[in-house]
Amino acid sequence: MLDIRDLRVTFPGAPTPALRGINLRLEGGKMVVVGANGSGKTTLIRSILGLVPPTGGTISFGGRDVRTIRSEPGLSTNLAEVYRLMSLPVRDLVRLYALLKGGDPAEMEGRLREFELDAVLGKRLHELSTGQQKLVGDLFAVSFQPRLVLLDEPFDNVDFARRRRLVRLLQELPAGVLLNTHELELLGPFAGWQLGLMFEGRLLGPFSVAELDRLFLTRGAIPGALAVLGTSLGTFSVTRDAGDRLVKSATSLNALVESLA
Amino acid sequence: MNLTRCYAKAILTNGSLWFWAVAFMTMWLGIGAFLESQGVAATRSAVVAYTTSWYAVIVLIALSLLAAVIAGSYAYGSSALAYAFRYSRLTPAGYLISIVGGSALLGLVLNVVLLGATAGMFGVRFATTLLPVDPAALLGVSLVGGVFFMALSSTLALLAINHLGLRSADFVGYVPLVLSFVLGNAQLYVTFPRWFIYGSPFNDLTSLLYQGYSGSTPTVELGTATVPLDWIFLVLGILVWTAAFVGCTLVLLRRIRSRQLEERRQI
Repeated sequence: MLDIRDLRVTFPGAPTPALRGINLRLEGGKMVVVGANGSGKTTLIRSILGLVPPTGGTISFGGRDVRTIRSEPGLSTNLAEVYRLMSLPVRDLVRLYALLKGGDPAEMEGRLREFELDAVLGKRLHELSTGQQKLVGDLFAVSFQPRLVLLDEPFDNVDFARRRRLVRLLQELPAGVLLNTHELELLGPFAGWQLGLMFEGRLLGPFSVAELDRLFLTRGAIPGALAVLGTSLGTFSVTRDAGDRLVKSATSLNALVESLA
Repeated sequence: MNLTRCYAKAILTNGSLWFWAVAFMTMWLGIGAFLESQGVAATRSAVVAYTTSWYAVIVLIALSLLAAVIAGSYAYGSSALAYAFRYSRLTPAGYLISIVGGSALLGLVLNVVLLGATAGMFGVRFATTLLPVDPAALLGVSLVGGVFFMALSSTLALLAINHLGLRSADFVGYVPLVLSFVLGNAQLYVTFPRWFIYGSPFNDLTSLLYQGYSGSTPTVELGTATVPLDWIFLVLGILVWTAAFVGCTLVLLRRIRSRQLEERRQI
């Protein structure tokens, strides 16, 4: 469904690339990508959406290069910027995107009720709190029968009860999911999902979230390692069952690498 | 709810647009009627010419203002459009029809208000009846004018978004407004050659509005003679320009580039 080969992105004037040779294949499965702020997670999603032109490599969705895709409603996202087509109350935006995606507005209105967000229907996006905006984006992303959902930090500013509901919704969603987060401690409920580790524009993996408590990061290039990562702080290896530090023990990848550097 | 209805609703419920394109322009008509009219000769033909000139220029500026403000929203929606053209059923042509339809509708409402305000305020000032001779033609011209300005402003806004960056978008947005003000007013005081008026969409519009309101054919000086302008060439002129800018807008929309809004910040 999603096939990314050697994707490279360098923004004009930037001293270093934002993405360096990303390879990723997702055939209807679900994957979490963990990385620190600025590691390239959002750029990866924006590239797949066609919002960032690649410097090199290819991205295809459903066998078609995303640069040539037109009128293919199967891919959705929670990025707020793509729902700013015009300034309308959320109720009208839901109807508009249901029309554009070929879905039923009642589906998303039902989800908004389920998340106790009925009150936002009469408000415009800029009138919502940060957490409400994030949730409305999340619910847009999972509504109207998408085949692949790209979620950028979907739990940011979302309260605990709604996070749990959202996790359950994502687990049950009959679609492929690529979910970005910088919080390693959020991965518990996603045991059955694939795991990618993103650092300085490189994507390591796929691993399995279930084996997170067996993955270690070790300084240097270890023969037979699952992956070797060259960073501005040195070279590190991802190993299984033994190594310098358990990946899961850190709050973020940055903290993990810096503790070993 | 279809897209055209969404745009019509978003535009018709926008208080700022109503204030600047309708209330603010009506205030200018008031200035023309009550403050600037001291030197107008007390003849029916002079009063009609003065009233009509003000109406034509104000409609031109109001339509360009309206279009510039609406086209300014491309910058806010560049990512939404780039995404929607790929991953929804929205097409550039469908989008353009919707946004032009929505803004032409407000242009029509705007013209009805300005017509009423012109007839009312200038009629009171000169104590005479100053109703437009051909209101249907005026509404038709304002509809075409609305589409022209929307297409022109869209072309300029999309050029800025795709090629210059959002920092230029604000400045580019003023171009139709400045041209409307300069060329609309200049026609009152400068003798333009006939080819210039036929070739200038701004002057095509003011001439047609003048003719629709007063019933008199606008004229130009040709040597020592005064010759009338042919309304067919005026209509052709504005239609050709409108078609050209609609085509440019479509090409640019297909290639719209996603921009981060923060890029627009000037300082």
